[in-house]
Amino acid sequence: MEAKVSPQKFIVPIGPQHPALKEPGHFEFTVEGEIITGATVRLGYVHRGIEKSTEDRNWVQNLYLLERICGICSHIHATAYVLGVEALANVTAPPRAQAIRTLVCELERIHSHMLWLGVAAHEGGFDTLFMYSWRDRETVMDLLEGLSGNRVNYSVNVLGGVKIDVDEKQAATIRKGIDFLEGRTQYYMKVVTTDETFLGRTRNVGTMTYDQADALAAVGPTARASGIARDVRADAPYVAYPDFPIKVITERGGDLAARFVVRINELYESYRLVREILDKLPVGELTTRVPRRIPENEAISRVEAPRGELFYYLKSNGTEKPERIKVRTPSICNWATVMNFAIGLKLADMPMILAGIDPCFSCSDRAVIINRKSQSQEWSWEDLRQYGIKYYR
Amino acid sequence: MNISISPLIALLFFPGGIFLLGSGLVYEYIDRKLVAQFQNRVGPRWFQPLADIIKLLAKEEITLAGVNPQLFVALPVVALAAALTAALYVPMFGFQAMFSFRGDLVVTLYLLSMMTLCSGLAGANSVDRFSIIGATRTLTQLFSYEAPFLLALLGPAIVAGTWQISDINTYAMSHTWLILTQPIGFIVAVIGLMGKLELPPFDAPEAETEIVSGALTEYSGRGLALFRIGKDVELVIGLTLVVAFYLGGLGNPLVFLLKTLVLRLVTAGLQSLFARLRIDQTVGMWWRIGALVALVQLLAVIIGLFIGKII
Amino acid sequence: MPIGVMLSDILSSLFKKPATEQYPFVKEPVPERLRGELFWDPAKCTGCQLCVKDCPADALELIVLDKVNKRFVLRYNADKCIYCGQCVMNCRFKCLNMSNEQWELAATSKAPFLVNYGRDEDVQFLLDKAAQEEGPVPCEKP
Repeated sequence: MEAKVSPQKFIVPIGPQHPALKEPGHFEFTVEGEIITGATVRLGYVHRGIEKSTEDRNWVQNLYLLERICGICSHIHATAYVLGVEALANVTAPPRAQAIRTLVCELERIHSHMLWLGVAAHEGGFDTLFMYSWRDRETVMDLLEGLSGNRVNYSVNVLGGVKIDVDEKQAATIRKGIDFLEGRTQYYMKVVTTDETFLGRTRNVGTMTYDQADALAAVGPTARASGIARDVRADAPYVAYPDFPIKVITERGGDLAARFVVRINELYESYRLVREILDKLPVGELTTRVPRRIPENEAISRVEAPRGELFYYLKSNGTEKPERIKVRTPSICNWATVMNFAIGLKLADMPMILAGIDPCFSCSDRAVIINRKSQSQEWSWEDLRQYGIKYYR
Repeated sequence: MNISISPLIALLFFPGGIFLLGSGLVYEYIDRKLVAQFQNRVGPRWFQPLADIIKLLAKEEITLAGVNPQLFVALPVVALAAALTAALYVPMFGFQAMFSFRGDLVVTLYLLSMMTLCSGLAGANSVDRFSIIGATRTLTQLFSYEAPFLLALLGPAIVAGTWQISDINTYAMSHTWLILTQPIGFIVAVIGLMGKLELPPFDAPEAETEIVSGALTEYSGRGLALFRIGKDVELVIGLTLVVAFYLGGLGNPLVFLLKTLVLRLVTAGLQSLFARLRIDQTVGMWWRIGALVALVQLLAVIIGLFIGKII
Repeated sequence: MPIGVMLSDILSSLFKKPATEQYPFVKEPVPERLRGELFWDPAKCTGCQLCVKDCPADALELIVLDKVNKRFVLRYNADKCIYCGQCVMNCRFKCLNMSNEQWELAATSKAPFLVNYGRDEDVQFLLDKAAQEEGPVPCEKP
């Protein structure tokens, strides 16, 4: 890595190790003084070969493997997988199981947005908001621990249903926790929208209009902050969302402040949904039988992770192990928005812009080979290994 | 309070030298504990700053390739020396200043600025990109808050009619507290102090999430330890100055302790309240609002004195 | 132009206890569904090995000493286990359960992590057999 130190412009490398990043990724910003004039991104530091490993494990074991792609969106990955497998096997989980899945999905969304609020505040130097929002995040983690037994990687899904049940005592604890969190969220909304020092860092920073967001295929709250009303929970409802419809939250500003407001409004919506599910939980059993050998079939499943649309493609071949599972996570789509709109901003805005799309680097590491030649290539395991060794030399 | 100690002991042990270093560490601990309390968490234990310094002194110092090695090693020493020298003219710990002469206000402020200048130079000396950006920001911030801070400290100097810190101290002890008669100047002085010490919200030169550690990124071991001790000493001296001028002077150690702790509480609270300002916002704020307000205060003081003479 | 909006929170925190749970000195009660260490009751096991087949981490191994008389030893690798609970769900006779008291599982050597569950005579039989044979001890993986 040469250090280009010419007086006019030089390249500031952010990562792979940098206090601004929670996970490794490499960004190069070409700056002139404090103004950014170019940006590139390179990922791949957390590639673990998960998609290849799924072919070696049976359907049940894959559930736990895919849950661990990401720590914050672990349940939604498991839900997408389980919905895909149930579609392959042509079974439907009972309504109580679907409702409990939705409940945990929404609790996870609350957890993820509160975590993001703290991290984005920390990137902006506002450590107090970081500490307070993470203190309140402990409430939702305790709720999830009481429900499932673990604070991260809850493992409530099984093929065909859920493992846990929600009884009256649990429901009362959850309601109390949600009430406390709602009060605190109103306070954070006030801080984020009125504090002048904070607004000075977020207003009109990284603005993206509706057309630009559409052209770059942004997903999730990043797109909704520019006015695109795209939400898989409303467009293609899954699990219990047909019975408990949600309102799609959008903002029109398109800047960083709008992204804060969208996520906090989504928190309110989640609180409302959790209460509604607890009130109207359908009775019934928790699981249904899914065969050990899934017949030959292919299926897709789309769900709304806290960061955007998560897409799974599954293919079975009649045995106990899958043929191919392909995961397309939302964070991959949002990188282009950052790289395009970093130009013209100041270097000091860079960490907040990076944090503004809520990047999950662990989710983003997938191997993509772009085939420009007309003939197809067949890569064996050994070919891939040799390619990797040559690339890094 | 007036005590007579031989100059050598005063320079090396008490109230300068080792005692000053120790008190710098104590004040850093108090700052971190207060900020932690404001953020509803526990904070470090009492020996944490001391443990940090001991650990840093014990580690190997890595000198970069491509820098001027003499400058690299000398700058931390000069910074600490400047900070310790500035303590000689200030009524530390409630005792009379050790060496005071006419005009030592200017000398003290220059010595304190030299510390910031040294860290800026240290950053410019390193070839690392983060250090260069950090050095630029340090020097930019130095240019922006020096003028209002000096103007704010000038107010009491004009009322007392002297540029000698000890005399201003004596004046402040015998008249009503200047915070009541010059409130705007007090506010500018406190905020200027936070800018000088690079406390949040003015910690853009040392922004952890943007440029790792700013100008001091490439320092390790002894150099970093000396810079950190220098910053702590600057903290104590800065607090003493503002208290001596605005909060009614420093007569004895107990009063010193109480008043500096109260001021420390106020600055810790201000530290926790705000998000970090970008460097252009800092400069804009200081040159537009800070300098103007300080000038207004100064004018008010001069006019008040003039009217007082006429009446 | 409001600044310092968090002032009320900060001032009230001056007088509150910190929110940190000072862990080794203060232990908050754990929820009852906590998935801690796995325990096996050999009385009802039929040796179907569904738990072994579906473990995502290959942490379980059933050693069959005598299938007709139902003498099994379950070898459980607590360091491989990911505490997911799939084995508990799979077992039709409720032989497995995850404790919510044994969750502080740190140790200074590898030995406590390899647990042999079974009736005492079965486990003893297994260890004696391994000690007699030439070859790796049950505690070490080849």
